[in-house]
Amino acid sequence: MNEYDGPPRRADAPGPGPDDEGIRRLLDDAVSHIEPHDSLGSIHARTKVSSMKRKQSWFLGAGAAVAAVAATVVAVTVLSGDGTPDPRDPVAGPTSSADADPSTTPSPEESASPDVSTPAMQTVPVYYAGDTSRGVRLYREFHRTEAIGDDPVTAAVNEAVSTEPDDQDYRTSWPAGTAAARVEGAGTPDVLTIDISSAGQIRTRPSGMSQEEAQIAVEQLIYTAQAADQSRKPVQFLLDGGRTDQLLGVPTSEPLSQGDAVDVLAQVWVIDPAEGAEVSAPFTVSGLAAAFEANVVWELRQGDTVVKSDFTTAEECCTMAPYSFEVTAPPGEYTLVVQDTDPSGGEGPAPWQDTKRITIVP
Amino acid sequence: MSTTPQWDADAAVDELYASHYRRLVRLSVLLVHDVETAEEVVQDSFVAMHGRWRTLRDPEKGLAYLRQTVVNRSRSVLRHRSVQARHTPLPLPDQHGTDVDALSAERRREVLDALHELPTRQREVLALRYYLDLSEAEIASTLGISRGAVKSHASRGVAALRPLLKDAS
Repeated sequence: MNEYDGPPRRADAPGPGPDDEGIRRLLDDAVSHIEPHDSLGSIHARTKVSSMKRKQSWFLGAGAAVAAVAATVVAVTVLSGDGTPDPRDPVAGPTSSADADPSTTPSPEESASPDVSTPAMQTVPVYYAGDTSRGVRLYREFHRTEAIGDDPVTAAVNEAVSTEPDDQDYRTSWPAGTAAARVEGAGTPDVLTIDISSAGQIRTRPSGMSQEEAQIAVEQLIYTAQAADQSRKPVQFLLDGGRTDQLLGVPTSEPLSQGDAVDVLAQVWVIDPAEGAEVSAPFTVSGLAAAFEANVVWELRQGDTVVKSDFTTAEECCTMAPYSFEVTAPPGEYTLVVQDTDPSGGEGPAPWQDTKRITIVP
Repeated sequence: MSTTPQWDADAAVDELYASHYRRLVRLSVLLVHDVETAEEVVQDSFVAMHGRWRTLRDPEKGLAYLRQTVVNRSRSVLRHRSVQARHTPLPLPDQHGTDVDALSAERRREVLDALHELPTRQREVLALRYYLDLSEAEIASTLGISRGAVKSHASRGVAALRPLLKDAS
């Protein structure tokens, strides 16, 4: 392959304008003096490590989606449109994903100045159930909560069973009055032990709750606990401090691994902006999607009117991978709809989607 | 493709480094306004490409992946930096040269500053179109935006830089 300098003009280059040659020269000249340091050696050093550990450093730290889904939390730098840290920024939460290479990933600590005035708060990942075209699936939010001890797992699972999600499209299926906490030192270190208690009856499936809903409710806690712990340790549930053969009718005698992401998670998530967010244009929307051919389409709606729409691609197809795009629109209240494309041309289930109500402020 | 060399990941890194490293760093400088950051971004991108080589396998795809990664990471760096130092871009090191036809250091800075003031997408489109000389379709797929959006970002970006053009001539 030839040095890239001075390539021939492309036949399908964008239509020539009178200023094209001038702009080309302007940009060429602006960087013509730059002779970067040789860094092949350090690339080699890092790719050797990389091959051994089978890790990849992609800018969201996601040795792709598996890591993004499993450890989740961190890699997402949540900023609102005006560049100020979103209160939901996971800065105070667990700080680094096992797969993230600190030398290459912008670390959350650096993303925003830590708020030293509220040391008793932490940000935790919390999964919630939501209805999709393919049944009940999980979505994830970041919640800023009061720290319980210094254990993000307890804070996160308790949040999952006892607080309402920010997005009104989501829900927790656990009955009111349910609380959850991690039991430290119980069982083996390879298991996360979560004790559930409730004012009501939660051992068997309450009447009116579907089996699917119950199954997802249990997965909600497994995913939440593992995300907060940044591990994939199986979860042993206790009911009021003791082993229980079932929770909401779902068998729980043994430690449970998380269900397959394809079957449990909604396949398109908007992570930022959060529901109800106020942003100023332009702002960046980011999230994770396991989209068909990695295609992510979005619309900005006011009522039934589509104000803006466009598409982007996630970094990979078919597995939860980061995407982001920029939106600009006049001030006002909007609904942002992000979805994948329908490979079946309308014959299969409707696309995955996530919606956020947002306000664009002047 | 019979003419495609069967490189392994290490060979791909070496070959693409030899042919494109400098160009990619310069591209990133246009985007992030800082040489040191640009070098890091490009190094990271090569490391990422190495990790992906199994699915890329082809030099052209490798290069496309590198370009896209450099642009994405440059954007991510900017977003990250915007928290700490929104309006204080890092200074570029002073360069001494005898390049008669090229712009003076001062003029270069003006161009880079002007680029820096542009919205991210306009800056990216300009850099890909005028510095890397990519086609509209390649720019659209690199940035994950429509060709129409490429056109409109390009024309706005060109309009913003036009005053500098007049100064130069």
